[in-house]
Amino acid sequence: MPKRCFKSMLGIGGLLGSLVFAMPARAELVFSDAWLRAVPPVSPTMAGYVSLENDSDKDLMITGVRTDIAGHTMLHAMTTAEDGTRQMTHLHHLTIPARGKASLSPGEKHLMLMKLKRVPSFGESVDICFQLAGDTEACTPFTVKRPSQFDG
Amino acid sequence: MRKLPYVLPVLLALLVAGCGKQESDLPINNRLGGEFTLTDHNGEPFTQAQLKGKVSILFFGYTHCPDICPAVLARVAQVYRQLDEAGEAERLQPVFITFDPERDTAEHLKEYLPWFKANVIGLTGSLDEIRQVAKQYGVVFIKDQQEQDYLFTHSDYIYLLDDQGRVRKLYPADFTIDEVVADAKTLL
Repeated sequence: MPKRCFKSMLGIGGLLGSLVFAMPARAELVFSDAWLRAVPPVSPTMAGYVSLENDSDKDLMITGVRTDIAGHTMLHAMTTAEDGTRQMTHLHHLTIPARGKASLSPGEKHLMLMKLKRVPSFGESVDICFQLAGDTEACTPFTVKRPSQFDG
Repeated sequence: MRKLPYVLPVLLALLVAGCGKQESDLPINNRLGGEFTLTDHNGEPFTQAQLKGKVSILFFGYTHCPDICPAVLARVAQVYRQLDEAGEAERLQPVFITFDPERDTAEHLKEYLPWFKANVIGLTGSLDEIRQVAKQYGVVFIKDQQEQDYLFTHSDYIYLLDDQGRVRKLYPADFTIDEVVADAKTLL
């Protein structure tokens, strides 16, 4: 089935579509609470957050991230220096230990979507795919949350 | 009874003072802040003196920052909305100073900031002007060139200024909204 056609069905199917995309593409990497921080329509960047759980008996390594709405997507780490300054650095790999968890959350490790082709609005879902060592991918929908939903 | 004419005005003055607004307990920070001139989001010169008469929430950032800066703006917007609902936002002025003038032009700030619906004044300027203001507020920012873009390592304090433009309190980026609302109310 062509991808475009499949996406149209998702748009119409609503609930069914959500269920399909809620299933991790790779069973051992389980996603929960995946969301994007809403930003102004002229914003060049967006941040994404998600809880990741490795449901397998071997370590999983995320080697890259991609989404259709951004020209470039990266994993970022955040460090705080003694003087209180914060620095974001590109995280080239993220390993989730066997049966372990990892979290991408505000002010800490997070996804950075750069060179946005369009800025999704409140409530919209955007598919984001995590590339794993071994040339496989796991995708999940990220929902755009209103500021009041994450900064209350 | 002969002392009554002298005592009465004093008692009256005390009574009036007691009925008036209580002075804020927030200490005045004389080491931070001061005069500055930058360019606002309309492309007009903007001086620190223009903030006098209003209580300001001042903070630094840049619009290409995906994580902390939009979160701070959203939180400041919530402070603004809470005070607006209480009918007290008229004298509150959020101020966003970019340290990325190369990309955060007046035009871009004018498009970016209204989305937060908090009447935020965006300020930009030459790099030297911004460096000077940042120094006055003890703000550090360092440009980090990444593979495809550049970011900033930066401090992210939020400053509450009284109606004389004096710094009265600093907050971390993840400040408690109710705390800032309560503090601002003591200055409004």
